[in-house]
Amino acid sequence: MQTYTYNENQKLFKKALNLIPTGVYGHLGPAEGCFIPVQSYPFFSSRAKGAYFWDVDGNRFIDYMCAYGPNVLGYNDEDVDMAVAEQMKLGNCTTAPSSIMMDFAELLVDTVEMADWAFFAKNGGDVTSFALMIAKAATGRKKTILVNGGYHGVAPWTQKLGYPGICEEDVVNNLYVDWNNYEQVEKIVKENPNDIACFMATPYHHPVFTDNELPEKDYWQKIRKLCTDYGIVLAIDDVRCGFRLDMKGSDHYFGFKADLMCFCKALGNGYNFSALCGTDALKDAVSSVMYTGSYWLSAVPFAAGMACIKKLKKLDGPKLMQDKGKKLTDGLVEIGKSYGFNLKVTGVPSMWYMRITNDDSLTLHQEWVSECVRRGAFFANHHNLFINCALSDEDIKLTHEIANESFKVVKNNHKEI
Amino acid sequence: MCYMKGGDYVTQELTKANINLYAVLRNLEDLCELDKDMKTLIKNISMKIKFVVKNGPKGYLSFEDGTCTFSKILDKCNIILYFKSPHHFNQMIDGKANPIPLKGLTKISFLKNEFITLTDKLSYYLKPTPSLLENETYLKNNTILTAYTAFFALAQVGNTDPIGKLSAKRIPDGIINVSITESNTGIHLVAKNGHLKAKKGLSSKNRASMTFSDIITTNKILTGQIDTYSCIATQKLQMKGYIPMLDNMNKLLGLVSSYLQ
Repeated sequence: MQTYTYNENQKLFKKALNLIPTGVYGHLGPAEGCFIPVQSYPFFSSRAKGAYFWDVDGNRFIDYMCAYGPNVLGYNDEDVDMAVAEQMKLGNCTTAPSSIMMDFAELLVDTVEMADWAFFAKNGGDVTSFALMIAKAATGRKKTILVNGGYHGVAPWTQKLGYPGICEEDVVNNLYVDWNNYEQVEKIVKENPNDIACFMATPYHHPVFTDNELPEKDYWQKIRKLCTDYGIVLAIDDVRCGFRLDMKGSDHYFGFKADLMCFCKALGNGYNFSALCGTDALKDAVSSVMYTGSYWLSAVPFAAGMACIKKLKKLDGPKLMQDKGKKLTDGLVEIGKSYGFNLKVTGVPSMWYMRITNDDSLTLHQEWVSECVRRGAFFANHHNLFINCALSDEDIKLTHEIANESFKVVKNNHKEI
Repeated sequence: MCYMKGGDYVTQELTKANINLYAVLRNLEDLCELDKDMKTLIKNISMKIKFVVKNGPKGYLSFEDGTCTFSKILDKCNIILYFKSPHHFNQMIDGKANPIPLKGLTKISFLKNEFITLTDKLSYYLKPTPSLLENETYLKNNTILTAYTAFFALAQVGNTDPIGKLSAKRIPDGIINVSITESNTGIHLVAKNGHLKAKKGLSSKNRASMTFSDIITTNKILTGQIDTYSCIATQKLQMKGYIPMLDNMNKLLGLVSSYLQ
């Protein structure tokens, strides 16, 4: 199997370093994206279609990061792109918003079980921050309970004291608990009975570098009751899990009802917008908070969202992606085992996390992932991965072949295994 | 880039005193290996100096058989230098105060001569000018001593500064190797239950590693002339292993510079 080279990528990246801080910043870049070693990874894509993207050297990758989630139907999905093209002819960013905004709100309210209304913004972080503001406006309280290791965006309140640009005042109202530890939440609530505005968490625990964890039996039901009893707003950050677990929302998947639900990644198959859904009880609080942005009501993403959500429903996207994820990961685990590697898979198969557990440093995993990337299967070594609906059985078969050869290479470099 | 120190004035002075003794003065042992003149200077000296800072760090420098060794474990000594507070010790390091000698008045000539020569030479290497850095040997010695200072200081910041303690607690238990490929310089940082220890040399049991490709890159990163993210991207700085350890260690490294300014 031929391994990839990245001459054009590297040439462009050197140019980018002069123009853009760190060349490619954030989660898509080599530092935050944990490109280890850097020379195994592409920096820039030239095009994308279905389950693949091609880099600027012409290398094709089966993409298991899916732009970190937005690619849910497959890149350049024809139905979504057709809806986008039609809306483009009509208008996009206009003084009076297009009525398609209301059409999409109706679709979302009909789709998401807990939703009585929908509010739109651009990124996941816009709506997680808004959820906190609503909770504070609704309760007149200022503290939020968050789960250690949970990710809710990059706004100052989501970061930690000691990080560059963050001061004590940014995080002073955050209280932290461990995932799945109901007793900790209860203790904090009872110690601060009139101070806690919001409990915010992801539907299940999907931190980076660490095995993902599903909620323990009755965890969410107990949290729901506690929040109701103490007048705390229960906000679920469904930005990553949304529509990969359940079209009705990930709270529905785990058998409880949130007060607020944050969506983004899979809403529009890559067209940029986010949504906050909520219950009627919070509608007044939402209306009272001034929150808006220049492009938040643009029509084209709503057109993409209409086509995307309808198609996901038609395909039963969550089940389809979970089945594909199961088939893929079962194969990877078996292949790893045949070479003496223990590949541990956690989380829901449509957005699983995996790591080789033969060492405690992730070094073997980083080596194996880099070998896979160099052969055309794009994984990340630190983050949960993503399935999209366009992934075919042939793609899964090829991924297994790539994984097999990559395990062989790592095994040869570590004869002790 | 400026990271925010934590704590009140007293805590910041204590952190600085810990850095000055355990990271800056500790460097004399490496200076006497790197600089031939300094090695010659201490060739026939047998001397142990104890530094005692009230409500602050303690340690001693031993000059024996042409080598200098720093240790935190107190032993018999020829000279005891006492400081009435961390601030007093920091003032001495800045050349604005004198120590209180409690023992070894007959050895005072060593302090006034050889020891001053050693500390002046250390300052010479740790306070570079653009023209000095054009000299290859100076650049190498400056970089190695700066790296030792930075990573030994990092452990002190993680153990003393309130914001540093938060980052130290976030470093998962294990060992981080830090090395400069071109110079055979290695340091390892042991993290356990939020407490940090820096040690010279590399460990074979490391859980993560950070490798600087060359002297110039190391120098530029440690002096803030280039950012680590760009260096990671261009492979001048390689990170491997359990990245949360390195991620939080790098936040401490950012805080170190605010103490060494």
